Amino acid sequence: MRALRAYTILFFTISFAPIAVVVVFSFNTQRSLQRFTGVSLEWYRQFFESESLRGSLFASLEIALATTIVATTLGTLLAFGLVRARARWTPGLNVLMLVPLVTPEIVAGVSALLLFTQVGLRLSLLTVVLAHITFSISYVTVVVRARLAALNQEVEQAAMDLGATRGQTLRLVVLPELWPAVLAAALLVFALSFDDFVLSFFTTGESPQPLPVRIWSAIRFGVTPTINAIGTLMLVVSVVSVALAVALPRLLGRRESGVGVLLAREAA
Amino acid sequence: MSEEAVRFEGVSKRFGETVAVRDLDLTVARGEFFSLLGPSGCGKTTTLRMVAGFEEPSSGRISLEGRPMAGVPPFKRNVNTVFQSYALFEHLDVRGNVAFGLKRRRVARPEIERRVAEALELVRLTGRERARPGELSGGQRQRVALARALVNQPAVLLLDEPLGALDLQLRRQMQVELKAIQREVGITFLYVTHDQEEALAMSDRIAVMDAGEVQQCGRPQEIYERPEKPFVAGFIGISNLLPGRTEDGGVRLATETLCPAAHDCAPGTEVQLSVRPEHVVLDRASGIPGTVAERIYVGTATQLIVELDGGARIVALTREDWEIGDRIAVSWRAEDARVLR
Repeated sequence: MRALRAYTILFFTISFAPIAVVVVFSFNTQRSLQRFTGVSLEWYRQFFESESLRGSLFASLEIALATTIVATTLGTLLAFGLVRARARWTPGLNVLMLVPLVTPEIVAGVSALLLFTQVGLRLSLLTVVLAHITFSISYVTVVVRARLAALNQEVEQAAMDLGATRGQTLRLVVLPELWPAVLAAALLVFALSFDDFVLSFFTTGESPQPLPVRIWSAIRFGVTPTINAIGTLMLVVSVVSVALAVALPRLLGRRESGVGVLLAREAA
Repeated sequence: MSEEAVRFEGVSKRFGETVAVRDLDLTVARGEFFSLLGPSGCGKTTTLRMVAGFEEPSSGRISLEGRPMAGVPPFKRNVNTVFQSYALFEHLDVRGNVAFGLKRRRVARPEIERRVAEALELVRLTGRERARPGELSGGQRQRVALARALVNQPAVLLLDEPLGALDLQLRRQMQVELKAIQREVGITFLYVTHDQEEALAMSDRIAVMDAGEVQQCGRPQEIYERPEKPFVAGFIGISNLLPGRTEDGGVRLATETLCPAAHDCAPGTEVQLSVRPEHVVLDRASGIPGTVAERIYVGTATQLIVELDGGARIVALTREDWEIGDRIAVSWRAEDARVLR
């Protein structure tokens, strides 16, 4: 028991120590990254005063939002197709769908870049969004499909038996049962897209650049406390969206969240 | 209005190569408690699903209160189903579940309130309106499913093994309640079960099904006391089935004994003689000789398994004391033996 506890503490210390350093020093009064001299919001002020950095933040938020909306819609539809169509080729499709999840991002990035230049698409935020959507769909489908497959078909039949048309059945019975999974998938995709670097790096245009790419460019000229501030802000956005993905369905009276389903599936 | 609730005319259902239901002809009267009884895979659930509209017959026709149902989708049929899994809406509370059907029909709000309250009182769930299905016990979930269907006052209530998921004691109790509820509301029940005891206890009439066909249809007493086919005799209760050949006025068993029994078969026809254990008369002298092979005390009586000298085994119920190994003679009255082919 004691060894287990010690191991747990060690694990969390090692995992969170670097992040803690970034967060703590983002509130430092001085430029130093070694000595903490006092608390200030100076670096946050600098960040928000820089128009180009603000532009990158909004670019990243826009990318994440657009990706989330499109990928969640398409991924949910795909999940319906895979679960309900039961065609001869669905087993193959189920495997094919997992490929984007395991493709090395650098490969995906290079391929996307090659594709976009081949078809003559100018690199911009649009190309970033397109690239993000391609890998995000799989996440949505995995989460939603698991929930959909677990849904008792008799429940839908019960709705129709009680006088609900197909449309009403979908709206009144299927979606309410499904939406925790859809919501969880959406928030997950938002977090993944918001802090994605590799794909964004390959597919973005000149300006504005997504925030992670922007940080990478800035770091080449030395780490400034402003970077720490940006890092902290990004961390907050990601953590909040994942936390919401886990907590919202529970807060709203559902037992299981879709993310739990994803985690369980990945473990299995 | 017609007096018949459901009529099947030459209804068959094929799934690819397999025939689930073959040439079904049945009429269920209004207000009747009608059971489809048979082992799993006999086509009883498929039959129910065709009435609900989840499956279309491959041939033949089904009418509800005289109206043909071909091509009518489930949500336009005046029937409601109690599913084996209950299929409750987990995101709605008990009230929301029960009111679901009435809301789809745009019933006025005060009437919805009134009828939901009535239905919940009928299944004794008053006070649990706000509970989610997840918070209820198996028996309570079953009652919600029943109330949700009954509240719409359908022409026919379809029940697909509704007590299958309950433990034995609760099942017995619900059998009595279900029958009482049916009598009170007077709605036609079409009840699917594989439990012969359940069917005998609750039904006005039973159709025993096997391999997609109705083997026999009649009142519980008829089915039990006068089975017409070996399958029915074997499936309902315990039956001794003895193979033999018909002769004038009786059946010559494999043991060479001639048993008097009424039949209208040509002499020499291969038949089975069916005798219920409670009709077997035990004696020391007159009858087919045998030995007591096993005795099982079942509370109200003792079940004896008698090994006849010819090799066949017979089950008998008795209140007398017999020991394993006792020499014994079995017989029965001619009118208690049924000749089945």
